[in-house]
Amino acid sequence: MRLRLAVLLLLAFMTLPTVVVIAVSFNPTAILSFPPAGFSWRWYVNVLTYPQFQRAAWNSLVVTGGAVLLALPIGTLAALALERARLRGRALWAAALLSPLVVPGVAAGLGFLILAAALGLLRSRIVLVVAHVALVLPFVVRSVWVSVRNLDPALERAAASLGASPRRIFFRVTLPLLRPGLFAALLFAVVVSVNEFVVSLFISNRVTEILPVAMFNYVVNYTDPTIAALSSLFIAATFLVIWLADRFLDLGRVFLQH
Amino acid sequence: MARPVVELRGCTREYGALRAVDALDLAVLEGEFLSLLGPSGCGKTTTLNLIAGFVEPTAGRILIDGEDVTGRPPHLRGLGVVFQSYALFPHLTVFENVAFGLRERRVPAGAIAQRVKEALALVRLEGRERQRPAQLSGGMQQRVALARALVYRPRVLLLDEPLAALDKRLREEMRDELRAIQRAVGITTVFVTHDQAEALGLSDRIAVMQGGRIEQLGVPREIYERPATRFVADFIGASTMLRGRAASGELVTVTGGVALRVAVGRVLKVGAEVELAIRPERVRLATAPGDNVVEAEIDALVYQGAQTELTAKLADGQRVRVFVTEPAPIPLAPGQRVRLHLPADAFMVIG
Amino acid sequence: MKLLLLPAIAVLAVFAAALTALFRWSLLEFIPGSLVPGGYTLDNFRAVLAPQYLHAVRDTVILAALTTVLTLLASYPVAYALARTPSRAVRSTLLVLTLAPFFTGAIVRTYAWVLVLGNTVMTWPIPMLFTERGVLVGLVHFSMPTMILILAAALSHIDPAYERAAASLGARPARVFWRVTLPLSMPGIVSGGLIVFAWTLSAFPTPELLGGGKVKMIANVVKDLGLDSFNWPGSAAFAMLALALTLALLAAAGRFTGSRPA
Repeated sequence: MRLRLAVLLLLAFMTLPTVVVIAVSFNPTAILSFPPAGFSWRWYVNVLTYPQFQRAAWNSLVVTGGAVLLALPIGTLAALALERARLRGRALWAAALLSPLVVPGVAAGLGFLILAAALGLLRSRIVLVVAHVALVLPFVVRSVWVSVRNLDPALERAAASLGASPRRIFFRVTLPLLRPGLFAALLFAVVVSVNEFVVSLFISNRVTEILPVAMFNYVVNYTDPTIAALSSLFIAATFLVIWLADRFLDLGRVFLQH
Repeated sequence: MARPVVELRGCTREYGALRAVDALDLAVLEGEFLSLLGPSGCGKTTTLNLIAGFVEPTAGRILIDGEDVTGRPPHLRGLGVVFQSYALFPHLTVFENVAFGLRERRVPAGAIAQRVKEALALVRLEGRERQRPAQLSGGMQQRVALARALVYRPRVLLLDEPLAALDKRLREEMRDELRAIQRAVGITTVFVTHDQAEALGLSDRIAVMQGGRIEQLGVPREIYERPATRFVADFIGASTMLRGRAASGELVTVTGGVALRVAVGRVLKVGAEVELAIRPERVRLATAPGDNVVEAEIDALVYQGAQTELTAKLADGQRVRVFVTEPAPIPLAPGQRVRLHLPADAFMVIG
Repeated sequence: MKLLLLPAIAVLAVFAAALTALFRWSLLEFIPGSLVPGGYTLDNFRAVLAPQYLHAVRDTVILAALTTVLTLLASYPVAYALARTPSRAVRSTLLVLTLAPFFTGAIVRTYAWVLVLGNTVMTWPIPMLFTERGVLVGLVHFSMPTMILILAAALSHIDPAYERAAASLGARPARVFWRVTLPLSMPGIVSGGLIVFAWTLSAFPTPELLGGGKVKMIANVVKDLGLDSFNWPGSAAFAMLALALTLALLAAAGRFTGSRPA
């Protein structure tokens, strides 16, 4: 059928760059050629031993870890409040919580830069973490909110009638039932934060920069396949994460419902 | 002599391990109103979809006017379909909805306007051409759906539980109108429903379906008064089932030692196990003992206005359902002992 | 219960403070060679309208418009397949392939196009890298996942009964698409188009790497002025422009999805 052919061509278009990157990453020489002239791991070794990448990887770990550790509880509480509290203008609150998604990266980046300078925090990772929390929070709220909506309040009332205190109910009933939403939130938060580039470009320097920024700086200056190798590692990690998520979450339902 | 317009020969439709339609043979005769009746999952809607071409059979053939249309896509079968949800195009006006099929057939604009007008008049919905489906009530939407399916004079009209979404009174109104329109136009019609009252009232013939097969095919009176299988007896109307053994050509001993005379034009095989069914409205309250009169104790009474539904227990524990027309000839109360007359010609022998 | 919102509100407050700082600085005077600004002025916004910057704005709008149209055309078939396929395996595959670029990060995706467009795979008959054509390809590729998901969601909300009804009335598959499916998916098309247009207006990594300095969109100007020239006030003015355009477009998109016919 013509539709099937069109879809296959488009899928090829969508995946072509990925294929090229992975192929190029194994090229033995420093020239970017496709198909590769041989097979070599040297660029992967280069990636793993390059000091700036090592430092950036550490920064990514710290910043993403910190952002996720903060955003998950904050977002979960917010999602619970959005669904269950008596709020006037609930839609407005929801819009406000999702607003960072809407702001252009360069605007947020420059804004945070100016703010950080005013507070004398230019050389610290704190700004990065805070910015990432703000950027990741909408994803967390949205994912957890879906789970909260599907949570039957009767279950918590039943627990109360059986003698459980609010604290016990939260940890023994509510949180476990929110697991799918929390898992999705964790997934989104990590992936978004690890890949965040534009805002981070503005507010980091060589000491504090995270991986995507380090990659950008490398690409602008050098043209060997090192970045192809690092990109391939990213791609492999991403596919693994998505495959896992689809197995456990049925992504069709998560994404095709509005 | 009526000839078949639609024929299904040995049609089977499988979904993985599930057989929705199982080696089905069916012939729909010219001009008749045939109902496919059965519970959810019996395969009636799948059968309709096979005729329409929305699904393909995994085995078997489908013929329209003697021509094999198996494998032919729906838009080339020349049929009219009314869907359960009506499926009126929300972005088009009533006029454009009804005109849709005519436009596909390249009917000239002037003729379209005329025929749409006639179709809407047929379903008594003139004057609403410019409205959108969302502005119409359920009953009106249903009429538009009907007009849309009929306007281009298809060979066969297929209706998939079209009255299911309407409330009771509207349903009965539409039922009568539907039948009147079908008779007026004379179109061969296949009607899917789970409502037996609907099927009994509307149809020339009924095919009772279960598990992808036709349990019985016949005129309504035959289906009701002479059900061929236990399922049909159970599904159509209410019945009491009594198990027993034939003591002679016309006597059945039911457990408890009571002998019932069965006079339905059949000679029973002596010693054979027999299942008898009797409709609640045929059982009568008796004043004196006699032929086919049994003693029973009232178990439950449900007052229903025009009648009372009475459940009475026989000596061996079997229960008999009786409809007693109100006002009842004697006062009734739970625990009371009564005599029930089961007329010999009212029995249905199953199997 | 309401108190549970407080932590989130604190985070939003910081975010708002950043945007406020941005707004404030867009109105301050730039003193070349220094990071200390002068007094309040509208000069920065006047500079936005200066010829050398105005054509960056114009190029941005044109590129965003072209991207939106091409993305729409390319995404529709994939979205249709995704929404209508009965097989869970096919749906999973399409979803993974659509979502993967989403999660791979802008640098990786853009770098991949640097390779493809830069004569690595084949020598292009006309130059692709560091041209507007190349940036357009990168932008379309970047926007497709979003558009596919929005269109697929819209299509999956269309009751298949409508398409069956049209077929039963005699319309062959192409006609069913034109007369029924496409019109009913229009709200998805409009909101998807507006969202892609808004995001593309502020696109940064794609034009930065694929444009090689020759193709400047609004976001690139923001970075040039802010990080290279240290002209924070000027940069802020452009950033405010991008923000204002984005908000206006998303407000329009919101009105459209709000009034969707049932």
